[in-house]
Amino acid sequence: MSPDIPEHAPEPDLLNHLLVCVGSKSDRQAFAALFKHFAPRIKSYLMRSGSSESQAEEFAQEAMVNVWKKAAGFDPAEAAASTWIFAIARNLRIDHFRRLGNRMEQIASDPHEDALAGAEDPEPTPEEQLFGAQCERAVRSAMAALPPEQQLVLRLSFYEEHPHARIAAELGLPLGTVKSRVRLALNQLRRRLDGMQP
Amino acid sequence: MRIRHHPDDALMLAYAAGSLGAGHRLLLDVHLEGCAACRQRMAQLNALGGVMLDELPPAELSPHALERVLARIDAGPGSLADAPRTSTVVGEKPWLPVAWPAAMSGCEVGPWRWMGPGMYWNRVVVPDAPQAKVFMLRIGAGRMLPQHTHSQSELTQVLWGAFDDGRSEFRAGDFDETDGSVRHQPTVQPNGDCICLASVEGTLRFDGWLARLMGASIGM
Ligand SMILES: [Zn+2]
Ligand SMILES: [Zn+2]
Repeated sequence: MSPDIPEHAPEPDLLNHLLVCVGSKSDRQAFAALFKHFAPRIKSYLMRSGSSESQAEEFAQEAMVNVWKKAAGFDPAEAAASTWIFAIARNLRIDHFRRLGNRMEQIASDPHEDALAGAEDPEPTPEEQLFGAQCERAVRSAMAALPPEQQLVLRLSFYEEHPHARIAAELGLPLGTVKSRVRLALNQLRRRLDGMQP
Repeated sequence: MRIRHHPDDALMLAYAAGSLGAGHRLLLDVHLEGCAACRQRMAQLNALGGVMLDELPPAELSPHALERVLARIDAGPGSLADAPRTSTVVGEKPWLPVAWPAAMSGCEVGPWRWMGPGMYWNRVVVPDAPQAKVFMLRIGAGRMLPQHTHSQSELTQVLWGAFDDGRSEFRAGDFDETDGSVRHQPTVQPNGDCICLASVEGTLRFDGWLARLMGASIGM
């Protein structure tokens, strides 16, 4: 049975479920629903990161092909669908710049691979850690509770190769101030997240 | 192993955003491998990327985008982005008193080369990024590196032993970031060798001609 495709923005849990359906039974209807939500946003992300419209379109399509191919490796206990798909789009961008001979060359590992890497350091204990949907929920609500200008600084940090210059231009701040603004915003975010640890 | 020095928030965010150079990225990969606390922080920053993506206003796609993607899926493999991640071990690596970090498995690591009394270095070639300035240092007990500052940014991950540069002591598992605001002279603790992995963007600026010569010998 395929899940229904809602008209409004799907809930994160539904997106996770759709991605599991794609991975476990190559469900095309679920894929179409994921596509409808994420492909236009991936294109938007890439255009904000400096890609031309046609390049962003091509990347967004390629990212969704990768989503289909790698979906079997998706585990919602490790990362939420949005986190996982973001990593695919980001890695595609890194990979592209590598092929261009730019400085951003190495293909990054997926976030859930980071989470699984050998745990030599005993802290924090697994019970203290937030991964997967739980982590996404906590980050989403911590982000929503930040003052708008801090949310903006964090958002802009994701957009391009020289995010600090972009933020400086967009907010009319001296470049030197931007780094401390980003730190401040991350501090606030972390404070809120720490308050949410189980 | 108690890790006391971690990468700072701005660096972690740049990693999550994909805006770090290949050498700096490798240094963070090695740190994350040994540090559960930073893996948790990174999971949060990746989730932040997901939330950012999720909340972006959608761009308009070309009318047949989905059909095209489905056609590519039906056409089977062949995408460039599908190349398997660096699982192959490139050549022999020199001996280390600890296991080689898995994040370095695709790197080419040259033999230890002499750079001064009790001091050895080697070059680390990052896959697909031969221009990334990554190297390792093996410095004998009690030895001092030449005093220097940095034109841009230097990242250091301690793999073995410990050093102190006057700012703090850095032990195995610890991470350090320095830039032009730091002039330091890392000194290895007297109880044993210290082995570090380092990534430099820009150049190191050594004080004195002998140190500059030493810097030149390692391509800095
Ligand atoms: Zn750490
Ligand atoms: Zn230095």
